[in-house]
This record gives sequence, C-alpha cells and structure tokens, in this order.
Amino acid sequence: MSKKVSRNIFITVCISPAILLFILFMVVPTFEVFRMSLYRWGGLSGSQQFVGLDNFKILWNDMDFIQSFQNTILLIVLVAIITLFFAVFFAAVLTREQLIGNNFFRVVFYIPNILSIVVIAGIFSAIYDPESGLLNSILGIVSLENWQQMWLGNQDIVIYSIAGALVWQAIGYYMVMYMSSMASIPASYYEAASLEGAGKIKQFTAITLPLIWNNIRTTLAFYIISTINLSFLLVTAMTGGGPSGSTEVFLSYMYDQAYGNSTYGYGMAIGVIVFTFSFLLAAIVSRITKRDVLEY
Amino acid sequence: MKKSNRMSTAKLFKLFIYIALAGLAISIIVPVGWVFLASIKENSEFYGNPWALPDGFHFQNFVEAFIEANMGQYLFNSVMVTSLALLFLLVIALPAAYVLSRFKFFGSGLLNSFVKAGLFINVSYIAVPIFLMLLGWDNVLQTLIGQGFFLDNRVILALIYASTALPFTIFLLSSYFETLPSDFEEAANIDGAGYFRTMFSVMLPMAMPSIVIVILFNFLLFWNEYLLALTIMPGDNKTLPVGLLNLLAAERAAVNYGPMYAGMVIVMLPTLILYIIVQKRLTEGMTVGGVKG
Amino acid sequence: MKLKHLLFVGFIMILTFGLAACSGEEADGDSEGQGNGDDNSTADEDVTLHVAALESAYGEEMWRNIIEDYEAIKENVSIELTIEKNLEEVIRPQMQAGDYPDVFLLATDREEALTETMIKENGLENITDVLDMTIPGEDVAVKDKLLEGFSDTLATNPYGDGEMYMAPMFYSPSGMFYNAGLFDEQGWEVPETWDDMWELGDQATEQDMSLFTYPIAGYFDTFIGSMLYASGGADFFNSAMTYEEGVWETEEAERVLQTVEQLAEYTHPNTVANANPNDFTKNQQLILDNEALFMPNGAWVVEEMAEAPRSDNFEWGMTSIPAFESGEGERYTFTFFEQMWVPAEAENTEAAKEFIAYMYSDEAADTFLEAGAVQPIEGMTEKMEGQQKEFYSIYDEDVLPAMGTFASTNPVPGVSISDALYGSIDSVVNGEMTYEEWQATVQEASDQLRPEMQ
Repeated sequence: MSKKVSRNIFITVCISPAILLFILFMVVPTFEVFRMSLYRWGGLSGSQQFVGLDNFKILWNDMDFIQSFQNTILLIVLVAIITLFFAVFFAAVLTREQLIGNNFFRVVFYIPNILSIVVIAGIFSAIYDPESGLLNSILGIVSLENWQQMWLGNQDIVIYSIAGALVWQAIGYYMVMYMSSMASIPASYYEAASLEGAGKIKQFTAITLPLIWNNIRTTLAFYIISTINLSFLLVTAMTGGGPSGSTEVFLSYMYDQAYGNSTYGYGMAIGVIVFTFSFLLAAIVSRITKRDVLEY
Repeated sequence: MKKSNRMSTAKLFKLFIYIALAGLAISIIVPVGWVFLASIKENSEFYGNPWALPDGFHFQNFVEAFIEANMGQYLFNSVMVTSLALLFLLVIALPAAYVLSRFKFFGSGLLNSFVKAGLFINVSYIAVPIFLMLLGWDNVLQTLIGQGFFLDNRVILALIYASTALPFTIFLLSSYFETLPSDFEEAANIDGAGYFRTMFSVMLPMAMPSIVIVILFNFLLFWNEYLLALTIMPGDNKTLPVGLLNLLAAERAAVNYGPMYAGMVIVMLPTLILYIIVQKRLTEGMTVGGVKG
Repeated sequence: MKLKHLLFVGFIMILTFGLAACSGEEADGDSEGQGNGDDNSTADEDVTLHVAALESAYGEEMWRNIIEDYEAIKENVSIELTIEKNLEEVIRPQMQAGDYPDVFLLATDREEALTETMIKENGLENITDVLDMTIPGEDVAVKDKLLEGFSDTLATNPYGDGEMYMAPMFYSPSGMFYNAGLFDEQGWEVPETWDDMWELGDQATEQDMSLFTYPIAGYFDTFIGSMLYASGGADFFNSAMTYEEGVWETEEAERVLQTVEQLAEYTHPNTVANANPNDFTKNQQLILDNEALFMPNGAWVVEEMAEAPRSDNFEWGMTSIPAFESGEGERYTFTFFEQMWVPAEAENTEAAKEFIAYMYSDEAADTFLEAGAVQPIEGMTEKMEGQQKEFYSIYDEDVLPAMGTFASTNPVPGVSISDALYGSIDSVVNGEMTYEEWQATVQEASDQLRPEMQ
C-alpha cells in the first residue's frame, strides 16, 4: 500500500511542474487565440465586439487568405517529399557505405540547420540574384541560358525558390534523425541478405525502409510543423510575401492582418485555422502511412 | 566476365555517391563561407559581384556591429536567458518525460496525447496572448505593490522559453526512455532503491546521449528566438537576436551591409562552436519514434 | 526621411506594433479619469514643456539647439526633451501611466502607428488656432508664412472637416530620379508628357537600356498620387482618397492605371525579382549603372546610395511625373512631410501650441536647415545650396505640389487599399494582371472601406 502511495507521490512530483507550465504558457494562450477569433477588435481601441463566427465566414471568401493557404500546402508537400528523399538517401549512403570523409559530410550537412533564418535569407538572396547570382551564373557557364530565371521575380517560380531554400535548410536535420535509427539496425540483417544475393537497392527496400518506417512517420508531423513556421520566417526576411502576395504563407498573412491591418480578431481566426489544419493534416498523414511495425 | 561487370557498376555507384555528397557539401560550405567573407568586406564592395573575395580585412564592421547593436549587454542577456531556460527545461522535462514514458497511471495516455498536441502550438501565434497575460498580471501588481514584475524580466522569459519547448523535449526524451530496457530499474528496485534514487542514479545517466541532443536543439532554439524576446521584453533587457534585428533594420535602411553580416557572424559563432563540440553525439541521442517506438 | 524604408524592413517591426496595440488600449483606459487636458497654463506662469521627438536621419543635435533658442525667447518655459529612435516604445509606458508629453514630432505611416492610433481614438488636440498665432520672436502669423496647401490635406486635417490636428513639418519632394549626366551626354530632353516618355523609352530600348524601374511596389504611393492629381486635379484626388463611389471606374482613374500598365512594358526585367526588402537597392543601382533611366524615389536616395559605385559623369536629377496632355496638362510632384501634434491629454496645451508656432520662425527653420530638414515656409529654397536646392526648386517651374493620403477608416478584415493599389503592381508589371483586373481589385477594396470611414 505504502509502495503505491510513494509511487503516486513520485509521479505527481515529477509531472506537475511540467503540466503547470504547459497549461499556463501554452494551453491558456492558445485558448485565448481561439477566444479572440470570435471578436472584432482592432487591437488598438478598448472596444472588443463579439461577432461569433463572422471572422471565419470572411476568411472563406478572402482570396488572399486562400492564396496563402495554397502556398503553404504546396510548400509542405514539396519540402516534405524532396527533403525526405534526399535525407533518406544520404542517411543510407553514410551509414551503409564505406566512404572517405564520411564523418566530414555528416558534420557539414547539419550546419544549415544551426544557421539563423536571417543568414539563410541573406545567402539565398545572393544565390537567386538575377545578374550576378550563383544559380544564373552557373547556368550561364554551362550554356543553359534558357534555364536562367528571375528566381524571386517570376510569380510562377518564386514559391519553388522558397521551397529550395527550405529543403537546403532541412536535409541535414532529418538525415541525422534517420541515420540514428538506421545505425541501430543490426548489421547481421544486411549480411544475411547479402548472402542471399540481394543487391543494395533490394537491401534498402526490404530492410532499411521498413525498419525506419516509424521514424519516418514521426518526422512527417515535424515537416508539417516546421514548414509552417520556417516558411513564415524565411518569406518575411526574403520576399516580404511578394511579388504581389505570391509567396504569402499562413503565418505571414496572419501577422499582416492582426497587426498591419489592425484586425486582431481576424488574425487570430487565421491562427485557429493554422492550428486546426496542421493538427488534422498530421493526423491524416499518420493514419494513411500506418503499417504493421516490424520488430527485430 | 560477369564479376568484372559487377565491379564497374559498383564503382559507378560509388562515383555517383561521391558526386552527390560533394555537391551538397559544396552548396553548404560555399554560402556559409560567403557570410564570413561578407562580414569583413567594405561597404562599397557589396555593390559589385557578390561572389568576389574581399579586398582586405575590414575589422571595423565588427566594431560597428558591437557598438550599434549594444552587443556587449545583449550578449550577456542572451547567455543568461539561454542558460537559465536550459536549466529550467532539464529540471522540469526530464522527470516528466521519464514518468510519462515508463509509468502507466490514471491519465497517462491522455497526458501523452496532450504532449503530442502541444507540438502543434506555434510560438508565432501565442506570443501576443502571452504578452497580454503578463501585462494583465503586471497591472494587478501595479495596483497592489506599485511595480510590475513579469514583463521585461529575464527569468520570466527563460521560464516561458522552457515552457514552450516542453512538448518537443518531452517527446524526444520519452522516445529515448522507451528504448531503454527495464532490467536496470528492476535491479535497482531489488536493491531497495526508491523511485527518486532509481531515476537520478540509474535512468538519467543512461539518458545522457539524449540529454546532449536536447541541450543542442534547445540551445539553437533559445539562442535564435526573437518573437517572444521582442514581445515580452520591451525594456532594456533585449537579447542578441533582437539586437541583431534592430541592427539589420538600421543598417539596411542605411544600406550598410558590412556591419549587418558582422552582426550575423557574431550571433552565429556560439552556435557553430557548440555544434562542433557536441556533433559526435548527435546520431547517438536521436531516436525519435525510433525502431521500437 | 528614411521612414519609407523602415516600412518594409520586415514584419518583426509589426510585432512591436502588436505591442503598441495592446498598450495603446491600456493608455486609453487609464487616462479616462484624468482627461483634464485643458489649458492650465497662462503665458506668464512657469511651464515645463515635455517635447517628444523621433530621432530620424536629421539627428538629435538640431533639437537641442532649437530648445536652447526657444528657452532664450520664452524665459518662463523650460523644456524637457525625449528624443529616441524607437520613440514609440519608450514613450508608451509613460502614456500608460497617464503621463503624456505635451507635444510630439512623430509622423504617420510608421509601423508602430502610434499617431494613427491617436487619430482613430480622437486623442489629438485641435490646433487650428496655431495658424492664427503670431510666431514667437517675430510679428508674423503662422498662416502667412506657411506654404500654400500644407494646412489643408488629410495628413494635417485627418477627419476632413477643415480642422487642423497635425502641423506639417520637414517636407521633402519626391519624384522620378534619373542620371542627369546621361541625359546631357545623349542629348535627351527630360520628358514632360507621357507621350515624350514613351518616345524616350523606345530610344532607350535601342541602346539596351530600360526606361523605368522601381525599388519596391510601395514606392508607387507618391507616384500614383501625383498621377491622380495630374489626371483629375485636387478634387478628384480627394474623392479617390475618401473612397468615393465608382471613383476608380472613372476615365481619370482608368488612364492612370492604364499608364502604369504601359510603363510595365518599359520596366527593367530584373525589377520585380529585386523588389523586396532584401534586394531593393539593386533596383536603385540600375539607375547608377545606366541600365534604367527613371525610378520613383525621395531625396534620401542620394544619401542612401552615397557609397555605391556609379557610371562616369553620374549626377542625380529629379523631375516631376509627366503630364497626360501636352501643352496645358498639369504636372505634379508629391511632397512628403512629417507631423507635429498635441495629445488631447497633454497638460500644457497652450504652451505646446506656441512651441509649434515657433517651429515656423526663421530662427528655427535655419537651425533645422543646417541638419538638412526643411520647414514648409516661404523663402527656404533661397537659403539652400547645390543638390538640395535643385530638388526643392522643382515647384518653381509650373510644377504643382501634391499632398495627402487615404482617409482613415475602421479596420476591415482582409481589406487594405494599399495592398490592392500598390501591392498588385508587381503582378501588373509581370503581365499576370491586366489593368482591368487591377481596377476591379482596387474598386472592390475602396467599396468595402467606404462605409467604415470615420
């Protein structure tokens, strides 16, 4: 009996500070976001007017919001797929292959992740420059002038330019995550497969991929969360949402409305949509990628 | 015949891998090196080819960045806030993650899903509600004791940093704790160790690789954070990224690029150094949603 | 006058604005009880006047000199000065606590929008009577020295009722900037009408130059403003600024939008790619490198690009926006100015108004001029030299000043007239949007804002 009491005391002592802080600084402010989304408030005056779901009804017809919605989804999909591909590839190569400079590559690939987003914006502004930018210069050298683009000026392309910067930033981070779970796959599996004559690609699809599948599933939620957040910071520093709103994303539009346009309640309604959307999307992705977990 | 053919495909594959690896490595090293070079360029050099090497070492940029951005004071604030926040975070998150991952109790399933839901709460939209909340508390204090306490307080900022990092940190630590075998706890139990002793002397040391990761991740997060720092620190206790932003705004308006990049380098260096120190343990500790998760 | 750039340096400043938002509300709540802002100072009593000024590119030295001079004239007045680059952040907590400065030098169109907040909350003192005041140390009334037009725009009379709430300070003309050296070299005339402009554009194209570029789309605010004036006159401009019904569908508005669309064909191809807060100086560089001929800008660009490399014989020139018809077509150049105002809650409103009147004295104007700031009073251009004189003399040759801004409205979710009017320009230049679509967008925003006017 006393054992049970001491167990309960232990549990309570360990988790209550975390619960308390979590509620105070995460749940309550989030609740406030939800509450304020039901008000019409300029953010400046003292008058807050309850308007029910009006803000959400306006959202429905706000073309600028819909554009930022589309941009965000496009970015999430692109960044997740491309990053996933490269990160898994490099992780597999660096864990399975005997390479010179293995360690060097691993260290270097992670560096973009520790850079401030402002630095990244500065770097990519120099890469995408129409005249002297790295990208157009290289295309010029290899005589692919037709491929030269206004990377930040062409409205059809600029969103892909942003995606490129986000992928560059993210590869190392996810690569290291996949590497750590690949490293824990026993080498005997590969030896056995090798004896049976399975090639590298076969080994990858039959052993590596299934065994890190759960890890990949978890990172899918991270892709969603971090793309929403990082695209906001990057777009703000790099294009300011332009040209003509073609790189506007969820959170940049939210800030634009909540502060720039003095419609705080409306901005919070966008915040509610962002939260609900990212949560639902992650749940759906998690559901459709569910497979039987392979144990070893 | 067949064998040699195989050899050459293997060689081609290797070659392809090296090209891919080198390509990505170059795409990282060149731009990052570029920022360092840009930080010692003179202003007039920025109008020419951005990939040209600097004419000389223009150290004045760093001096200007330090003075303009009040870097000395802000550096101290950043160090203080970041280390306090890391301390708070570890003290609070470690026991919570341990209990949530290794104990079944009433509501533990609910709490675990709470933590996962918390991952989706974005600091970008709760920054202002937090500010309003602190402002409200301060106004109450103002009428009671005549001065505020919560806004512009480095300790409070550190506490809020720790709180916002809780979901991810607990998630990461729990994933790691789950992979640890239960034999050790059982052994400790048989030795007569209580819950607290088991946690402190057996489980926490085993979690070291993961703790290193938590420190690195959150250091990056706290060190570079500016939305909250800007919102709830309206007074003199600004942190480095906020100082850098003011510098950027001022220098960009004045089209003064050198000090701008110098400021970036100043902010970037501590993170690079910390990363180089802990990079060896990076792969060990990351078992998020791992094979057994 | 680099305010304009600060507008675009990033959303982070907007966050600070969020802070403004919250505290602004507090300030109002707190001040209710002590709204005793009326005059409790008479001319002879000792007064401590609290002046709050934004530290802009002109520096703080000039304010110290002004205060010294003023205290010498008015012996009963002593002045306490708060001058900061981030004035809003510093002054707001004081205002929260009910401690209002007596007089502010703080313009509209700042990210933090403190001045706009004061307008929307009816927190400004009516200072129309300053116009009739005699300038301290002189025997002239303010209205007799003030340049024509400066006291009857929406930027000084925000409610459009003929009552002045903000005094105009530090004006600066804006227009199209170009390389005068290049024009001499080529023997080109600076175009006076849009037809001249297109002709020059074709000549430039032959020499691999573009006629036009712009730093970022936001710089069109004064450009389109001047065009509206030129197209329909002051009354038409005001009806556009007050969201009058169908105003964007009129012929006058249509030809403005159509002209911008046509200008798009002559715009340097790199312009849109660089028209962002990170890269806008690259567009300004196009002028220095003779790659583009004209850009809309303000006089600050000279200082801003001071260190940039340039082509031989480069010399800054500024001209007004071309007229629509040759001969009798009117040409306008937009004028920026900052504002000085008195909060309704201020303690020493009368002393504050006298201080504002002093701003238009020759003594004060000379002190400001030394720092590069120009007061909107008669006879200032004669005192200037060199490039500054050239820019400010633009109104001397049958070019009319354009002034004003959109009337303030209650905030409307998802609707912003400047996003609709200026934000779409990148699309128009890229050819993604026709002028008809642009016109419809602007008209729609205008329609939605009309009922929300105060």
